[in-house]
Amino acid sequence: MSQALIELANLGFAWPGQAQLLDIPSFTLQRGESLFLKGPSGSGKTTLLGLLGGVQTPNRGSIRLLDQELSALSASARDRFRVDHTGYIFQQFNLLPFLSVRDNVELPCHFSKSRAQRAIQRHGSIDQAAASLLAHLGLNEPTLLERRADELSIGQQQRVAAARALIGQPELVIADEPTSALDFDAREAFLQLLFAECREAGASLLFVSHDQSLAPLFDRSLSLAELNRAARPQEI
Amino acid sequence: MHLLRIALASLANRRFTALLTVFAIALSVCLLLAVERVRTEARASFANTISGTDLIVGARSGSVNLLLYSVFRIGNATNNIRWDSFEHVAEHRQVKWAIPISLGDSHRGYRVMGTSPAYFEHYRYARSQPLNIEQGRAFADDPFEVVLGAEVAQALHYQLGEKLVLAHGVATISLVKHDDKPFTVVGILERTGTPVDRTLHISLAGMEALHVDWQNGMPARGAGVVSAEQARTMHLQPKAITAVLLGLNSKIATFSLQREINDFRGEPLLAILPGVALQELWSLMSTAEQALFVVSLFVVLTGLIGMLTAILTSLNERRREMAILRSVGARPWHIACLLILEAFALALAGVLLGLVLLYLGIAGAQGHVQANYGLYLPLAMPTRYEWTLLGAILAAALLMGCVPAWRAYRQSLADGLSIRL
Repeated sequence: MSQALIELANLGFAWPGQAQLLDIPSFTLQRGESLFLKGPSGSGKTTLLGLLGGVQTPNRGSIRLLDQELSALSASARDRFRVDHTGYIFQQFNLLPFLSVRDNVELPCHFSKSRAQRAIQRHGSIDQAAASLLAHLGLNEPTLLERRADELSIGQQQRVAAARALIGQPELVIADEPTSALDFDAREAFLQLLFAECREAGASLLFVSHDQSLAPLFDRSLSLAELNRAARPQEI
Repeated sequence: MHLLRIALASLANRRFTALLTVFAIALSVCLLLAVERVRTEARASFANTISGTDLIVGARSGSVNLLLYSVFRIGNATNNIRWDSFEHVAEHRQVKWAIPISLGDSHRGYRVMGTSPAYFEHYRYARSQPLNIEQGRAFADDPFEVVLGAEVAQALHYQLGEKLVLAHGVATISLVKHDDKPFTVVGILERTGTPVDRTLHISLAGMEALHVDWQNGMPARGAGVVSAEQARTMHLQPKAITAVLLGLNSKIATFSLQREINDFRGEPLLAILPGVALQELWSLMSTAEQALFVVSLFVVLTGLIGMLTAILTSLNERRREMAILRSVGARPWHIACLLILEAFALALAGVLLGLVLLYLGIAGAQGHVQANYGLYLPLAMPTRYEWTLLGAILAAALLMGCVPAWRAYRQSLADGLSIRL
C-alpha cells in the first residue's frame, strides 16, 4: 500500500459544451497530511471536490483514492466508496435542520457499514462515538445531543458537521470553506479542534478555502491555480 | 428504518403543508367510504323491504309500477282488482296465504292501507322478520281502528287511544276529509326501516266504511249520508282492492301460478316476483349511485394530486437536504425511496384520519339518518371491499410518489454533493 491517499494523474475535466475547466498533471495527498488548497470561487474547486467524491467522472486521466481507481467503480460503488472513506464539511447549513444533533452526527453510520463498525469498535456504540466526538469538539452539554440542529449557533453547527465528518474514522476529511461563516477567533479554534481530531483518527485533511490567512496552520499549502494548467487569469 | 425516520422528520419539519395534504386526503377518503357505505346500506335496505312474499298481484300495468305502489307506497294503481278475482286467487291450491291491500287514502302525507289481519301474520321484511306490534294490538272487529307505522307515530306524536281523521286521496293537502268517521289508534308497530313505518293500517272493512256512502267519487250529501254508527252495523264487504300479496306452499309453483294469474280470464291481472321487480327498480337507480361513486373516486384522485403537488413544489427548496444526504452517503435511490416513503406516509396518515372521520361521522349522524331516511349505518369494521379501496388508494399514492422520486433522483445525480443557491 502506497503512502499516497489521493493521487491524481493527467486529470482533465470539462462540463459538456464548455472549455476545459481542470487540467491537473499530478497531485498527491499523503496519509495523515493536512493540506490547504487555495481556490477562489469559479476556479473549479467544487468540480474537483465532486471528482474526488466520485459524483463526477473525469474526461481523462486517473483519480486514485486509497489505491482504488474511482473510474473503475460503478456509480453506486463510488457512492459507497465515498461514504466509507470520506467525511465532508461544507461552508454552512451542513446539517439537516429537522434532525437532532445526535441523528445528524450518526447519519454516515446509517449509510456505511464500515464506518458504523469502526465507530462501534472504537467507542462501543454509535451513540457513544457521537457523544465522544462532540465532547472532543467542545460540545459536551448532555442536553445538546437531542436538540434540533437548527437551534444551534453557526459555530456549534460547524463543529457538529465536523463530528459527522469524523465519525467512523474515514481516511479522508474534505472541508470546503467550513470556516467562512465564522469570525476569526472562532476560525482558528475550530481548525485546532479539527486538526486534533483528524490526527487522533489518523485522517488526512483536504481543506479548500480562499482565505490565505489560514494557510500557515497546515502541513502544506497549495493553490489550485498552480495545480491546474487550465486556469486562466481572467477566471480568477 | 432510518430512511423512514428521516422522511417523517422531514415531513414534521413541513408540518403545515403536510397536515393540509393529509387532511385533504382524509376528507376524500372519508367521502369515498361514506358514499360506499350509504350505497351498500341503501341497496341492502332496498332489498330488505319485502321478503317472504312470493308473488304480488295487481291490475295489469308495469311490474315496477305495481311494486312501487304496493310495497313502496309510491304512485297509484291504474286499476283495481275485483273482490271475486281476489277470492279466486286466494283459494288456489298452491296459495298458502293471501294478503289483500287497498290503497287510496292518506293521513297528513302518510299513506293509509286497508288490509286484513293476515298482513300482521304473514308480512315479512329483511331476513324473514315479522312485523311486531310495539304497543297495543292489531285492529279487530270495529272498522274504525288504526295501527300506525313507527315513523307515523313518532313524527305525528300519536299515542294509543288517540282519534285521527283520514283524508281522501293521497295528496299531502287534501280537500276532502273523512271527518265524519274518525279512527282510533289501537296499535303502533315496531320500527322496520321499510315503508311499513310510514303507513297507517286499517281493516278492509274500515276502508269500505269510509266510502260506503260515496257516489261517483264524491261524498254523499243529505239523506244519503251514512254515519259511523250506521256503518258499524252494515255488512262492509269490499267490492274491489288494489293488490294482493301471496305466499305459496312451494316456491316451485311460483312461475306456473304467475303464468296462471297473468292469463286469468276474469279481468286483466299482473303477477310479479318481488325479488325480480326489486332488481329491476334498483337497476334504474344504480346509474345515479354509480355516478356518486365515480365522483367520490375523483375526489380521492384530487386529494392525491394535491399531495403530489405539495411534494413536487417542496423538491426545489429541499435540494440542500438532498445534497447533504448525498454527502453523508445516501445514494440516489435512497433519495428516491425517501420521497416514495414520504408520499406513502402522507397517504397512510390521510387514510387513517379518513377512517377516524368516517366513524365519527357515522356515530354522529347515525340516529338522524335512521330517523329521516330509514337507513341504518352500522359502526362496523371496514368490509373487505372497503379495505380493497383503501389499499388501492395507498397503491395509487405509492405510484404517484414515483414522480417526485424520479425527479429527485435526477436532481440529486445532477447536483451531487453541492448546490449553488
